[in-house]
Amino acid sequence: MLKDKDFLTSACQTRGYGILGLGGKNSLSKAVSDAEKIVGYPTSFLSLRCLLSDEMSNVALHMRKLVGTKHPLLKTARGMVFDGNHNLQMKGLFVMLISKAAGPSPQDDLAHEEMVSGVYPNQRSLAEIMEIIHTSYLIHKGVVNLDSVQPEHGPVADMEFGNKMAVLSGDYLLASACRGLAKLGNPKVVEEVASCIADMMTAEFTNFTDPDGNEMIPQTCKGFSDWLKQTYFSFGSLLAKSCQSAMRLAGHSDYLKNMAFAFGENVSYAEQLAKDIKSFTSYDELSGLSLTSAPVLLYRERVPAQEFENLEKLWQKGPSNYHEIVSLVSKSGAISSCKELLAQYRDKAISSLDCFSDSEAKSALVNMVTAVSNVSSVSQGDVCVQTLLAQA
Amino acid sequence: MATPGISGRGFVRTLKTLRRSTVLQRLHENANSALNVAVSKECDIFPNTDSLTRRLHSSPTSFEPHCCHYYHSCHHHRRHYNQYHIPNKYQRTDSICPSAKPNPWCAVSNQRLLSTTTEHLRDTKTSSLVETDPYKIVASEMKDLAPDICKVLEVDIPNMQHMTQYYFGLGKAFRPMVCLLMAKVCNSHLNMGDTVFESQRNVAMVAEMLHTASLVHDDVIDAADERRGLESLNKKYGQRQSILVGNYILSKATMLLAQIGNPKIISLLSTVVEDIISGEFMQLGSKEDENERFQHYLKKTYKKTASLIANTCKAVAVMSNVEDDLVDAAYEYGRNLGMSFQLVDDVLDFVASKQAMGKPTDADLKLGLANAPVLFAAMEYKELQPMIMRRFAEEGDVEYARAMVEKTDGVRQTKMLAARHSEEAIKKLAEFSPCPARDALARVCRILLGREK
Repeated sequence: MLKDKDFLTSACQTRGYGILGLGGKNSLSKAVSDAEKIVGYPTSFLSLRCLLSDEMSNVALHMRKLVGTKHPLLKTARGMVFDGNHNLQMKGLFVMLISKAAGPSPQDDLAHEEMVSGVYPNQRSLAEIMEIIHTSYLIHKGVVNLDSVQPEHGPVADMEFGNKMAVLSGDYLLASACRGLAKLGNPKVVEEVASCIADMMTAEFTNFTDPDGNEMIPQTCKGFSDWLKQTYFSFGSLLAKSCQSAMRLAGHSDYLKNMAFAFGENVSYAEQLAKDIKSFTSYDELSGLSLTSAPVLLYRERVPAQEFENLEKLWQKGPSNYHEIVSLVSKSGAISSCKELLAQYRDKAISSLDCFSDSEAKSALVNMVTAVSNVSSVSQGDVCVQTLLAQA
Repeated sequence: MATPGISGRGFVRTLKTLRRSTVLQRLHENANSALNVAVSKECDIFPNTDSLTRRLHSSPTSFEPHCCHYYHSCHHHRRHYNQYHIPNKYQRTDSICPSAKPNPWCAVSNQRLLSTTTEHLRDTKTSSLVETDPYKIVASEMKDLAPDICKVLEVDIPNMQHMTQYYFGLGKAFRPMVCLLMAKVCNSHLNMGDTVFESQRNVAMVAEMLHTASLVHDDVIDAADERRGLESLNKKYGQRQSILVGNYILSKATMLLAQIGNPKIISLLSTVVEDIISGEFMQLGSKEDENERFQHYLKKTYKKTASLIANTCKAVAVMSNVEDDLVDAAYEYGRNLGMSFQLVDDVLDFVASKQAMGKPTDADLKLGLANAPVLFAAMEYKELQPMIMRRFAEEGDVEYARAMVEKTDGVRQTKMLAARHSEEAIKKLAEFSPCPARDALARVCRILLGREK
């Protein structure tokens, strides 16, 4: 039953079914589809090129053997096809929109006629490369330590095979990102984007995750500032540096580069904060509750150490205690201060767009930032399922 | 990147201007940047091309001033002159250019050294050349290679840093060695002396880093427990973080490469990354048809092993700015060396393990890989074909394949193929002017053929 609901939810959240939704996430769907029209068309790596390549079809063939196992690669792959949050292509859209908002190159040597819907081809490739890198990161993050495989995960051999597929497909994506970067022909951009990969890998070695990839809060945690650092490494760096590189590719000024970087960085904080808050406020996303989310870290700053230990104990007992955790954290006021922070980062992101003159691309950016920062309690999942059920 | 790269480019520009003049056509063979400006000013003074060429040929004990920092150590030069045969044309007869300042390291003392040591070396030339270890020729560049790589990989999370630096400084460092030697061959072909540019050395570092990153991922895929005499990263720290560390090394290598600032070099090395992965994918499958299968194997071998060596050789050649056909020669040398390297590896998979451990281990077969000796054997014994296609998965397949390889001369044929690639590689070296590094590269080919582990 739960499975079916999952499927329905993801089905109605894919873009093709955008008409259905109402409520919270619908504003996001609309913002995204509007934005795609503005830049002409979305990035296309998942649609055709990638699936038609020999390597990927090889993986796809083998992937059938994984069906029925519990390897995280399956979940990631499903997320790529049915990405409810549009997360993947949304990041690329940010890069293309900010490219368009910044306009043509101030230098004459870049041909303006090369632009398609106001975006240079190499800026478009950059957006795509960034999505590819992000995807390979998600895939590689799902590699399982075979020593930690529990009996309930099924046979170790299945997990080992899943690992092989995950390593190979992630590597394949990274290699195509490398080729794409080299084709951009700009060493500085290559360096910037490569440094994002290093940052994302670093994020997996901080004290926020144990070697198996499970979340934990270390004794040495400095609270919210560590959350910021972690969010920057795992998501912010890629978006911020990609936005910056998009400016660099068009030869824009250092000022615009800095503003684009600030935009990407602050959007990432806002987006992650919204996600963290939603896992506390929306019943549907309770399963996504995380010990390293911003509300928990703020809670930790507010209460005596002993109370926090209680919460950690509750956490270890498993999902049945999630409701208690939520009410503890809510009572401390951590969630409302998270919301304040979210508003701050959202406004910072929007104000870093002040350097661009008004345009439809700029207002699309603002719409998208507003939409991703939306934490309204009506979740689209509920609405979608209700709508579908009503229609049936 | 530091001054050497920049001044190198400046030098290249001067060189290109010079090349336009037909009178100076052959100048590029002997260009010496210390002389560049002066030479172009004085080209009228020389009555004819021959005399110019002769005088230029008689040039350098004086060295390229913008070489890597190793150049500034005195002992470095003495070693060079004490150990190696100096071809005639390197002997200094007189100053090429009156305005050029004498090189403080070479002008006086080396002249004396030359007259005595060259004679001495000429007598014992053959023996001393054959026995010199190729690593010694690039010893000063190699010495700090691993520490420098570790510096690039520094990160302020101790556990992570330990993992990223785990394998460096342990292996043979074969790839950077070949890369550095090729850099010397190209540079000395252009009479820039026994030097390696900082940027060329960075390519050598990138080569080792890319290779290591691919090893880390390979070990996870092949479930290897041991590497470079240590417990493998995946065995010690788990598969997940090993993969992430591999990516980290790749990204740092890419950054180092990007800092060189040459789009052409970036594009060459990005091909390598692509090739390594696509070779890995090719290894997953085999071809039904016999001929196609061998082609498939050769292509896989090129992509997985030879591409890295070939393209880094090409990259350093491009950076030293030798002519296009020499760039191709450098590439072909690397390609053939890489192919030969892998073929010998395949042979060792059957032979060495037997000698070392008393019994065969057949690592490749156990991983389901049909390597060259098996493919040769399959040409004679068709019943191997289904085993290859099912990747030796059934009980007894590995033993059977092994027996077939011993029965046929698959090992010998593989050795012959390796020898052919090796010869081809040595042939390519003839296009460069002779120097100790060139001899060393030829020696590398021969040593590889005879290696036992």
